[in-house]
Amino acid sequence: MGSWLSRKSKFDDTSNTVYLMQMPRGTRVPSLSPFPLKLETYLRMAKISHKSILGFSLSSKGKIPWIRHRGKDVADSQFSIEYLNKEFGVDFNAHLTNEEKAVSRAFLKMVEENLFWVLVCYRWFFMDPKDFGFSKPIPWLWLAYIRRMTRGYAYGHGMGRHSEEEIFHIGKLDLQALSDYLGAKKFLFGDKPSETDCSVFGMLAQFVFSDTKSPYCALIKKEFPNLERYCHTMRDAFWPDWDDVLKKGSS
Amino acid sequence: MGLRGSKPTFDDSSNVVYFIQIPLRGLRVPNLSPFPLKLETYLRMAKIPHESIMISTLSSKGKTPWIRHRGKDVADSQFCIEYLNKQFGVNLNEHLTKEQQAVSRAILKMVEENLYWVLVCYRWFFCDPKDLGLAQSFPWLIYAFIRRRVRGFANGQGMGRHSPEEIFQIGKLDFKALSDYLGEKKFLFGDQPSETDCSAFGMLAQFVFSNIESPHCALIKKEFPNLERYCHTMRNTFWPDWDQVLKGDASSTKL
Repeated sequence: MGSWLSRKSKFDDTSNTVYLMQMPRGTRVPSLSPFPLKLETYLRMAKISHKSILGFSLSSKGKIPWIRHRGKDVADSQFSIEYLNKEFGVDFNAHLTNEEKAVSRAFLKMVEENLFWVLVCYRWFFMDPKDFGFSKPIPWLWLAYIRRMTRGYAYGHGMGRHSEEEIFHIGKLDLQALSDYLGAKKFLFGDKPSETDCSVFGMLAQFVFSDTKSPYCALIKKEFPNLERYCHTMRDAFWPDWDDVLKKGSS
Repeated sequence: MGLRGSKPTFDDSSNVVYFIQIPLRGLRVPNLSPFPLKLETYLRMAKIPHESIMISTLSSKGKTPWIRHRGKDVADSQFCIEYLNKQFGVNLNEHLTKEQQAVSRAILKMVEENLYWVLVCYRWFFCDPKDLGLAQSFPWLIYAFIRRRVRGFANGQGMGRHSPEEIFQIGKLDFKALSDYLGEKKFLFGDQPSETDCSAFGMLAQFVFSNIESPHCALIKKEFPNLERYCHTMRNTFWPDWDQVLKGDASSTKL
């Protein structure tokens, strides 16, 4: 974690570059958190000039990712996207009907407010820590601390009150909904990607590419293969340099 | 707040579903929590014989509502519905296409995992306690205790980290999505109600009928009037005895 001064000196607030603050790269996904992966995918989709700054610098809301643009800090991936849409005149949902936009919102929230907690509970309570997918193992003390904190958060949210089987069942229903809605389409709403594709990809990539030993990955491969196909489509379309990113650890 | 103390007696040999909800009888809604209202609407929609018991006993997961049927306790409104669907051969989503069922799941989660926290934050952090709309008054100490706990929960979930304006904006986008999807339709997916209607109604009723002084209620009336119309449709269809229930009706059993 750099000092406040060294953090500030990384930014050129006169340029139009968007600085994206996110965690260090994973070994199998560019980010082990779905939200930085969502936001970075959006930046690539929108062809917005950006620079990733890897570290653990938290936003004003105590989370990651956040962005800085022309001296303005914006926290939360969705608020960041809304800000960038305005600043750069981007609208990936322009081609959707009113009804599709509504469905887009619903899936965004299902993925980020429900499936996300399935992922969190799996990773912090049930997964072997060796499978984490960081370049270095998480120090035992950190693991214990984060686990304890996450247990409180998950309990407050509600997901943490369910058994492992119940959580798997909840995750399966979400994955089924995504799979059934996607069907044979290239992206969620047809041949053109939209905003929610960034979020869905950010989340599914965790199961499909990173947590490859998880029961969720096995479930997707067996029962929802179109979701795996979709992840590859998104990766090929917006991350042709995926392997380089993982190797170099920065974009 | 309600009675603790003697455990209710259940007749585990009968087919009646005991529906246990925390005594948060509202002045303007049957329960100030959207999940008991969702589950009770489902029981009425599915015409499952049930007996409502209002006591402060929380479920095994520490929440409300829960059910007991033939000696089996089931916690969590959605697990209750899945259990009851199996037990009573109910499928309120049968008439939906695969794609509609997928959308139904997404809307269910948007309402219960996102809009719910907009409601919670409004009620516990921004709403005047006088406007809570509880049928019985809330002892101040319990109110302060719950508020502190909710702050921790909301912070952990994420919604509690946003400003009041940001939370309002998040709620507005959810309302817009519901309104745009509902359109002119009678229920979310057409002329026939489905499972997610129970949840959407349970949540929207809180804003439309209970928190009538909230900016959310004003927003719905002004920009999303079809959501208000929808709440009335659901209420008239499944709660013709709404007013009697609020007065403390015959169909609820207090123990």
